[in-house]
Amino acid sequence: MEFTHLVHLSWFNTAYSLRLFGPELAVVAGILGLLFVRLFNIERFFPAALVAALGAIAALGLSTHQFVRYDQYDAYKIAERTREEAKAAKAVLPVGAGRAATEAQRQLEYRAEMQSLQTRGGYFTQLLVFDHFTVFFRVFLLMFLLCVIYLTVISGIPDREDAPDFYVLLLGATLGMMIMASANHLLMVFMGIEMTSVPSYAMVGFLKGRRKSSEAALKYVVYGGGAAGVMLYGISLLAGLLGTAHLPEMVQSLAEFSRLHTDVGHDQAIRTLVLAVVMITVGLAFKLSIFPFHFWCPDAFEGASAEVGAFLSVASKAAAFAVLVRLCLAMVLTSQLVSVDAKSAEEMVSLMRLPDILRQVYMYVGIGLGVLAALSATYGNLTAYTQKNIKRLLAYSTIAHAGYMLMAVSAMMVILNGPGELNANRIHQASESVGALLYYLLAYLFMNLGAFAIVALVRNQTFSEQVSDFAGLGKQAPVLAVCLAICLCSLIGIPPFGGFVGKFFVFYNVAIAAHYHPVMYVLLAIGVLNTVFSLFYYMRVVKVMFLDPVPEGARVVDIAPLSDAGRYALLATIPVLLLGFFPEQITRLTQDVARQLF
Amino acid sequence: MDPKTGETLAKLLTAAWLLPLLGFAVEIFAGYLWSRRSKAAAYLAVGCIVGAFLCSASALYLYRQLPTIPVVHHEASHQHGKAGHDETKPVHGEGTVVAKEEEHHTDPAPRMHSFSGTHYVLAKFSNLKISIDWYIDSLTIVMFAMVTLIASCIHVFAMGYMSEELTEEYEDHQVHTSHGHFSRPGRFYKFFAFLSLFCFSMLGLVLAGNIFLVFVFWELVGVCSYFLIGFYIERKSASTAANKAFIMNRVGDFGFLIGLMIIWTSFGTFQFATRTEADGQKQLGLFDMVRGADGKLDLQDEPGKKAVLLTDDHDHPLLAADGTRRSIPYILLIGAGLGVFAGCVGKSAQFPLQTWLPDAMEGPTPVSALVHSATMVAAGVYLAGRFYPMFVPEVQLVIAYVGAITLFVAATIAIVATDIKRVLAYSTISQLGYMMLAIGLGGWAAGLFHLITHAFFKSLMFLCSGSVIYGCHHVQEMPQMGGLRKKMPITAYTMLIGVIAICGLAIPGVDVFFGGVAAKLGLPASFQNVMSEKWAFSGYHSKDAIVATAMTYAQLNPLHALLFILPLAGAGITAFYMFRLWFYTFAGKPRDQHVYDHAHESPWLMTAPLILLAAFAAFCACGGEKGFLFTMLLGSEPAHVADGLAAGATSKLALPSHHQIHDNHATAGFYALVVAAVGTFTAYLFYGARQFKLNPSEVQSRFPWLYTFLAEKWRFDDLYDVMFVKPVHIVARWCAATDRLVFDGILHGACRIGIVVSHWDRLFDENIVDGLVNWVSNVTYGAGSSFRYLQTGRLRQYVMFIVVGVVLVGGFGLFWLMLRIRPS
Repeated sequence: MEFTHLVHLSWFNTAYSLRLFGPELAVVAGILGLLFVRLFNIERFFPAALVAALGAIAALGLSTHQFVRYDQYDAYKIAERTREEAKAAKAVLPVGAGRAATEAQRQLEYRAEMQSLQTRGGYFTQLLVFDHFTVFFRVFLLMFLLCVIYLTVISGIPDREDAPDFYVLLLGATLGMMIMASANHLLMVFMGIEMTSVPSYAMVGFLKGRRKSSEAALKYVVYGGGAAGVMLYGISLLAGLLGTAHLPEMVQSLAEFSRLHTDVGHDQAIRTLVLAVVMITVGLAFKLSIFPFHFWCPDAFEGASAEVGAFLSVASKAAAFAVLVRLCLAMVLTSQLVSVDAKSAEEMVSLMRLPDILRQVYMYVGIGLGVLAALSATYGNLTAYTQKNIKRLLAYSTIAHAGYMLMAVSAMMVILNGPGELNANRIHQASESVGALLYYLLAYLFMNLGAFAIVALVRNQTFSEQVSDFAGLGKQAPVLAVCLAICLCSLIGIPPFGGFVGKFFVFYNVAIAAHYHPVMYVLLAIGVLNTVFSLFYYMRVVKVMFLDPVPEGARVVDIAPLSDAGRYALLATIPVLLLGFFPEQITRLTQDVARQLF
Repeated sequence: MDPKTGETLAKLLTAAWLLPLLGFAVEIFAGYLWSRRSKAAAYLAVGCIVGAFLCSASALYLYRQLPTIPVVHHEASHQHGKAGHDETKPVHGEGTVVAKEEEHHTDPAPRMHSFSGTHYVLAKFSNLKISIDWYIDSLTIVMFAMVTLIASCIHVFAMGYMSEELTEEYEDHQVHTSHGHFSRPGRFYKFFAFLSLFCFSMLGLVLAGNIFLVFVFWELVGVCSYFLIGFYIERKSASTAANKAFIMNRVGDFGFLIGLMIIWTSFGTFQFATRTEADGQKQLGLFDMVRGADGKLDLQDEPGKKAVLLTDDHDHPLLAADGTRRSIPYILLIGAGLGVFAGCVGKSAQFPLQTWLPDAMEGPTPVSALVHSATMVAAGVYLAGRFYPMFVPEVQLVIAYVGAITLFVAATIAIVATDIKRVLAYSTISQLGYMMLAIGLGGWAAGLFHLITHAFFKSLMFLCSGSVIYGCHHVQEMPQMGGLRKKMPITAYTMLIGVIAICGLAIPGVDVFFGGVAAKLGLPASFQNVMSEKWAFSGYHSKDAIVATAMTYAQLNPLHALLFILPLAGAGITAFYMFRLWFYTFAGKPRDQHVYDHAHESPWLMTAPLILLAAFAAFCACGGEKGFLFTMLLGSEPAHVADGLAAGATSKLALPSHHQIHDNHATAGFYALVVAAVGTFTAYLFYGARQFKLNPSEVQSRFPWLYTFLAEKWRFDDLYDVMFVKPVHIVARWCAATDRLVFDGILHGACRIGIVVSHWDRLFDENIVDGLVNWVSNVTYGAGSSFRYLQTGRLRQYVMFIVVGVVLVGGFGLFWLMLRIRPS
């Protein structure tokens, strides 16, 4: 390759990548804006929340554009268009045209070629990936970020003094999550996780002067540091064994690896590989707060303010699931390397044939994830029984929900790698599992946000976060109480709320996975049983709100139905209802996004 | 013929039909919002009904503009009639238009068009369609005009009459509670809402194009009648009367339903007229199926299997699925006719179901005028007329006898009744009997003619009685009145017009004189026609027609001479009791000074309708059988009526033809007039003369058994009490006893067993089921609480758990893989 070509290539690559990276850049701009506000002390004119919100809105706008007008960003589509332009230019080019015209023509052909070099939406030299999944998570995270910013404005948790710092942390964490969602390289995965974690540590300890808060932050830091270390160790082992840390290439390396090492019991390399996979899983399990790597979660949530709790429980979990799905698919899907020309399903399937032994291993990985999911759901639900602090209760609830969602990933792995030929139908079923996960995440966003937000709003009035202090809320603040009840019912999974639909889809896919391996029936049964278990502690809160009398000398909760607080509660609750009432339209969206992954 | 006219007529009449429904909907719901003192409901109701009248009147005008149908002579093979008769067959116009025509032997009446169509199909059961059809012929239009006109008058009258209801606190003097009179909020709006609903139902009944829809509206008018009779629901008498009316009608409707079932099973359609649907499919009507174009029944006379063969509208035989001709057994046709007629008996208060109508007078007087004299009760007659082609002579004989008995019984009771409204009620029953009689005797047009004229003069008289009652502050007993003509002249003289009209009085000889004068002056023919008729009010003409029919019938069937004697006697009695009423009320000296002193003429709002109705009562039948009204009705007469029926053609009974009736007209008119005059004169002798020439109480004391018999209404109520009510009570008591002793015993036993079982069930539930549930919850809760101890809060331990977790998961995973994976 000529040097000029190299320069051209890198220039072109960077320009293209920056365009795809727009939303992240907007968030960075927001962070810079906040720092400027802090630097020049102009918070009076530009409130920190406003600047943060502007950054978030800009990013959301860009990513929404990417979502709606995906074709304008898709590398293949651009290449195709450019190639057609080149053809057209060639056609109109008269014989003996000027040198400039020929040059332009050559340039076009060249650009088309370059464009097609980008494999499967990878950019920034394949470190990041751009596809529907990425964009979906960008929109998801940014929408949630806006919701959280609005919540903090209403509840006033960062005081004016600390606001810029808080929002810088918030935006920074979101940036990390977005990178997690679009990571295409193990190092980027790790970097994303760390970029998310470090601001999170700070946010947990943001309530200065409160011992609990600082303690929680410390626990979170140390635990997170440990988990990160383990994960990094795992990454280094894996990259060393496979010779690549690049996700799309991993499947090939693994296939080769499995051909070299067949003796599972005695081969040192295989033990190392298993250890590496487990260590990476541990790192993710920490972000997902999956049992038994959840220990930070209740303490951190109890110490942190409810707003931060809402942010961490939804956003970082969503990003971590994005990473988990990507890693799983990177191990399984040979189509990552298949060129776009393989359009038909049959062709795709023939290219995607993996060694049998590898598929068996993957299936057990899937079942192992299922075991973790079952443990997590059961542990989370049962431990929540005795909690008196509502934030702690919700923390255990998030552990349980991480378990439910992990069931979808487990189902996906089992469907893809269960015994029998992999055909288009199974790929479709696997994509439905991912779609179910996305639907669950959407519902989880709103119902969990609603629950945490109402806890925060009530705390502003009662200065307490004990379940018993919610007594009589149904009379004092009916809108908030009803909204909280709806969110909790949705968390249980009672129709007609969004949580029910999400859970139903997940269980449905677990049931499908059970066709491929019967142990999934056990997982399904545990999932259903857990739903029954969870009824108790959620309903206890509802009962306290509506049936228990207001205790003597309790602080009066004075929230008008259409005050900011009431409106916010409605804002969070109405989507829960919509997700429950119109599952078809939203499913179509999530399924579309999921299908593009395969 | 222009099918568009049919559409226009249908639109006009539909508008007239639906307007009162709109009124009802607004009044009944908005009534709650309006003040109890607001007259808005009345204005709305009047507006709606007047609008309906305008629609009907324009429809009438439009209908008269239609050209007559040209006579189509058809092939000799279809000639069944006597020589000299122009036999015609229906001409089928385009689309939904069906032409019906007929030919009169001596005086060809203009043939009128009929139209039919469908508004909406409600349901379809294989062949049978239940739809909202309409059928318009001259009878429909005349009925519409009559109903809306009278209803308009009565609505206006009611605005005055019901004004006492315009209050927040209406005190009902006839309801006594433990603390004085009962009082309630006024129900002005409700009254008008019900009136509007009634008008809607009545017009729907008339417009209906199939017998099923007729039944629907039949029940609707019934329920309106129930509401209106029981308007003063707190009065025991009113609620009892409402119940009685409703239940009596149910008896008749039971027969109606049987008739409907026979029609459904035998014909598979409810529709009156043959019609081509929008999709080009022809839907045969009942009448065309039963009767040929000439109106004759196509009999298949095998011994023991007498049946009527069905034909289509062109007289082609209808074939069943197996290729044989479709037919209906003669006996079933009789059954269908009698069934439908049973409905008419109930609605029109004919013997033996007549007892509800006098009691129905408990309703407010405008209701009596509208519902229980002019319109709803006449619906039975209307239906008998509409359904006429389905009646065979045997059924007609039953109709005639029922009518004759009714008219005589009711007339005799009216002689001794003292309540002004009850006299009128019995008079109504009697007149309805006349109409039924006419229909039964084959005097189709005569019966319906009397329906229309009667509607006018009877509603007039009812309104007059209402005016009297209003003026005398709710005194209804005639012995307390007298001499009221000085206090309320308008009421008195309009009433007199009504009385003369119903009695059928005429001035003999004037017709010849004026006819001659008109002919001399060379006035137009129509004027000549009018002038050469007798000078008489409407009732004379219509009753004359009926008596003439009866006389002819009696001549043809000497066995049934009673059918002539009874109506003739009835005419005399009618004259007697009507003049008795008038003399009692308006002439002579006041018998109750208190009532007389407080009596006053009603406001113009009430007297204006009286005057309008009086005009119609007097002149609506102007011209007699050559007049507008009669020729209109004659235009829709079923094809076979005009020719009559020779004995032996269908059955042993003969029916008079127009020709024969016409020959008897003068004689019959003379008899009727003489009898009426005698009745009138007798009434004058008894009640009118200054000193009673004859003392009624003397006659009373001479025939005490007769008086009691009549005063107790021929003991019908007692008879029904013994025959039906008492037995039902006894059966009910038996049923109750069985229920209590047997079924309750079984139930109680079952309950006791249930209690024992549930006691055991409870033990099982509490110990085993609950125990299990509690055990599960204890275990889970216990597990939950013990899991807490895992969360020690110690950081060192947390970090250690990471290591433990990695080692455990990794080790277990590896172990598992070693166990399960077999290199392939």
